[in-house]
Amino acid sequence: MPHSFNSIARSCGIAALVASMIVLGAPGAQADENVWPILKEQAFGDRPIQEEDGMVVLETPSKVEDAAIVPLTVRVPPSVKGKLKSLTLFIDQNPDPRVATLTFGPAAGTGGERSFSTRVRVDNFSHVRAVLETEDGSLHMTTKFLAAAGGCAAMQAKDPDADTADMGKTIVRTFPPAIESSPIWAAQVMIKHPNHNGMQLDINTAQFIPARFVKEMTVKRDGELVFQLDGTFSISTNPNFRFTFGRGEENDLDVVIVDTDGTVFTGQSRPKGS
Amino acid sequence: MPLAKPMCKPKLISRKTLLKAGLALAAAPLLRYVPAYAAAAEVSEVAPGVFVHQGRYEVQSPDNRGDIANASFVVGSEAVAVIDTSGSAVMGRELRDAIRAVTTKPIRYVINTHMHPDHVLGNAAFKQDAPIFVGHYKLARALGTRADGYITANKQMLGEGAFAGSEIVLPTRLIKEPTTLDLGDRTLLLEPQATAHTDNDLIVTDTKTNTLFLGDLLFSVHVPTIDGSITGWLTLLNEMGKRQAARVVPGHGPKTMAWPEALEPEQRYLAAIADDVRRQIAEGKTLAEATKTAGFSEKDAWKLFDQYHVRNVTAAFAELEWE
Repeated sequence: MPHSFNSIARSCGIAALVASMIVLGAPGAQADENVWPILKEQAFGDRPIQEEDGMVVLETPSKVEDAAIVPLTVRVPPSVKGKLKSLTLFIDQNPDPRVATLTFGPAAGTGGERSFSTRVRVDNFSHVRAVLETEDGSLHMTTKFLAAAGGCAAMQAKDPDADTADMGKTIVRTFPPAIESSPIWAAQVMIKHPNHNGMQLDINTAQFIPARFVKEMTVKRDGELVFQLDGTFSISTNPNFRFTFGRGEENDLDVVIVDTDGTVFTGQSRPKGS
Repeated sequence: MPLAKPMCKPKLISRKTLLKAGLALAAAPLLRYVPAYAAAAEVSEVAPGVFVHQGRYEVQSPDNRGDIANASFVVGSEAVAVIDTSGSAVMGRELRDAIRAVTTKPIRYVINTHMHPDHVLGNAAFKQDAPIFVGHYKLARALGTRADGYITANKQMLGEGAFAGSEIVLPTRLIKEPTTLDLGDRTLLLEPQATAHTDNDLIVTDTKTNTLFLGDLLFSVHVPTIDGSITGWLTLLNEMGKRQAARVVPGHGPKTMAWPEALEPEQRYLAAIADDVRRQIAEGKTLAEATKTAGFSEKDAWKLFDQYHVRNVTAAFAELEWE
C-alpha cells in the first residue's frame, strides 16, 4: 500500500518509547468521533447498532506498554444465547482502522462464554471497538479507549533473521476445559509472520519494506467451519489468536492461513493424537 | 574549573584548557538548555587512557537532554576511539568537549555498541572529525529501519531544543567477526555478538588495560530492557562470565564495575522473567495474564522498573511461547 513519506510521518505519530505519554482512562486530545461514522457506514450501512448493552465486552490493558503488541480480548457472556454471525474489531486512528472481521460457522459453538483474543498494533491514541452481529442480525458494540502510540513505527521484529528462518511456522494448541463435556472449548493459533504494514521506510535503501500480512484465516473443527477471519496489518507481528469453539467428536482443528502474497500456511491440532 | 577528572596522572589545568573552556562557555547561548556549569560532559578516567561518562537513571526528557546512558573514550598514542555517544547531539558535543579537554589527538573511530537512541544520537556531533563510524554488521539495517521512529520519539521526549542537531548516522565499518582497531600503541578488540539485548550488540575490549565495554549487554541499577532475545541474552551472559577482564563498563550503571560479579543481578532478573513466563505459558496463561505477575519479585531491585518491566515481560512472552 504505497504512501508518501509525509503521510507516513503523520500517520505513524509517536514511537513506542514515550512512557510519559501513557494516560489512564479518559479520551485524549484526538477527536476521532469523525472517523467512526465513516467506518460504520462502510461496514454496516445504516443498520442500527446497540451500544454497551452487555452483549459484547472488550478487555484492554489499563496501560499500554508496547504499542506494537497490545493484547485485546472480546467476550460474549453466557447469557447471550444462540449462534453468533460475525465479530468486527476497529481501531479508529490506525492507518487501516479495521483490525479483523470474523464470520462464524456452525462449529463456533453455543452454550457458554465465547471469546476471541489477539494482539494488535496501536498507532495513536484511539477508540477500539468490537461489533458483534448476533443470530437475529442485530448489531451490538462496545468501545474502549487506548492511550498508546507508535505501533506502526515500532512494528519491526527484534530478530528479523531468526524470524525469517522460521517464517510460516504455525502452531495450533487446544485447551480442553476442566469439564470435558462442556460445550465450549478453547484453542490458540499462532503463526511466525512479520505482518509488514508496508509503511516502514528503510533509510539504507530509501525503500519501504513491502506490505505482507495475514489476510485470511480459516479454522475448522472436525471439518466444520468455526470461523473465517479477514485480517489486516493492524494485527501484530507473529499473529496470535486465542478463541473458543464448539465441542465436537474428535475436536480436530485444521487451520489454513493465506497472506497478501498468496502464500498458504497450515496448522492442525489433534487432541486425541493420530 | 576542571573539565575532566584525571585519575592516575594529575593534570594541571593548562591555559589552553582554560581557553577552550572559555570558548565552550561562550558557545553556551547556542545551546539553549545548557545550564551555567561546564559545557563538557563529566568523565572519569577509570583506567589509564580510558574515560567514562555515566548517564542518569532516567527516561529521556528536555531536562536531561538524553543523558541516560554511559559513553566512553579510549586514548592511544595516535588516535582516540569513542564508544557510544549518548542520547542527543548536544550531549555528543559535550562528550567531544570532554575529549578535547584531555587530548588533541584525532578522533579516528566512533563505535556504537548497539542501535538504541541513547547510545547513538550523539554521533552527529562527531561528523566534523570525519571518523569511521563502526558497529555490528546488523547495525546499519537495524538503524535504517528504525530511524524514522527513533527521530520522532526522541524529538517528542527531548523537545525541539534539546533534540536540535540530532540525527541518525549510520556505521560504515561493519564488524562481522572479531576485529582489532589500532589507536597507536593500543588496540581495541571488537566482537560482534549473537542476538541478546538487540540483534546488533558489539562489545569492545581495551586490550592495554583489559577493560571490557559491554554496552547494554550489562545493566546495573537501571532495569535491563529486552529488545532482542531473552534466551540469547541468558546464553550469552553464561559464556561471557567465563572470560577474564580487569573491569567492565556497563551501558547503564556505575562507570566501572568488578568482573564477573557485575553480571549477577542482571542474570537473576532475566532468569526470573524466563522462569515465570515459561511456567505461565505451560499453564496456558495469556500474554495479558503473564504481564501482571511475571518477574515482579524483582520489583524493588531496579530503577525504572515501572517504566520498562512489563514491556520486557511482553517481549519475553512473545519469544518464549515459540519454544
